[in-house]
Amino acid sequence: MSGHGFLLATYAPGSSLIHRTPLWLKFLLVVGCGMASFLVADWAVSAVVLALLCGLFLLSGAGPARLLRAVRPVLPVLLAIGLFQWWQLGAPTAARIVLNVLVCVVAASILTATTPVQALLDGVASLARPFRRFGADPERFALTIAIMLRSIPFVVGAYMDVRDSARARGLERNPRALVLPVFISTVAFARQTGEALAARGLGEPEDPED
Amino acid sequence: MTQTDHPATARTPRRRGRWNATDLGLIAVFAALVAASALIAAIPVGGLGVPITLQTLAVMLTGLALGPGRAFAAVGLYLLLGFAGLPIFSGGRSGLGVLAGPSAGYIIGFLLAATAVGWLTVVVLARTANRKGRLRAILLFAAAMVSSIVFIHGLGILGMMVNAKLDFSKAFLADLVFYPGDIIKNILAVSIALALHKAFPDLLLRRVRTVDTRP
Repeated sequence: MSGHGFLLATYAPGSSLIHRTPLWLKFLLVVGCGMASFLVADWAVSAVVLALLCGLFLLSGAGPARLLRAVRPVLPVLLAIGLFQWWQLGAPTAARIVLNVLVCVVAASILTATTPVQALLDGVASLARPFRRFGADPERFALTIAIMLRSIPFVVGAYMDVRDSARARGLERNPRALVLPVFISTVAFARQTGEALAARGLGEPEDPED
Repeated sequence: MTQTDHPATARTPRRRGRWNATDLGLIAVFAALVAASALIAAIPVGGLGVPITLQTLAVMLTGLALGPGRAFAAVGLYLLLGFAGLPIFSGGRSGLGVLAGPSAGYIIGFLLAATAVGWLTVVVLARTANRKGRLRAILLFAAAMVSSIVFIHGLGILGMMVNAKLDFSKAFLADLVFYPGDIIKNILAVSIALALHKAFPDLLLRRVRTVDTRP
């Protein structure tokens, strides 16, 4: 895993109406679906909403393969819960529970499939802006996000290297040998990053005078 | 790897607990560590080869290594970016949709457990400054177990009750599966945390001002 490629997997470039909808409106849609899942009592309503959202997803041009990929991670556990609740509470209730979770997952993936990662991250960074008067620093917040994204490939790489060397020493069943070197190099990497930032005058808190 | 301590980072009394650049680096990289641990495959443990996932290990270690404030920031940053849509939750899941799933409680529990174990770590390290290492290890393990039982398991059960509509006894039974792995992970986390504090004495200890008094 190199670079940030894996972070871009969910975005489908396009210029549909949904792509052009502002981020806050799509965010409201997701939150609304989450709230509604507590209120909807009829499985038929959930099914209609799910069908509408799937239609919306396909309308954006992201494609059925991407929709399947978004839903697939939750399917096994939903199947288990669905069957268990069918036995416990009956078919309509089981269907409502499973459909409501699917509604939320599809709504959230509409947001991520039609918004570039950079726009999403800018949206997150802008969350700090209203808290500026309470001492929040949006620039330091955005800087921390950027460092985190850059560091994920480093940590994954560290895990891979350590696993290889543990295997070479016949220690692949020793969890301490598999994990401890990763954490040591991660902390060292973090402190080097911090020193590099300090050397450039970045990331230090501003003096209260200005 | 030699660590040259920057004079600016050694300044202890900071107004309103503002974080310096090294703290930002630690917060960001530990958030990345939690994300990477969710993406990496489970590792085999012992002769039986039972695989354990690394994510809760990374979450607990964030608290054990960084203390409450920075651990809250690191795990909070991880959650925020996951909710924003980066595929960094376990199994490559992402977005606010996970909050509707049955594992939502565990994901929220991470944040509180890391903070709680961080707070307890500071207390334990300050109180056992002049004691034997064994007592410190046992107390840290107890701190990690209490935090993970109350917050990760507690909220995990609550999440299954709310989102999967299981009743308490069924959710409790479903959660019980995770206990053996959790005990192994907390033992591992404490042993790694002690090694980390030995390798980087100023990682957390300079904050509680302890002296290494081994003969």
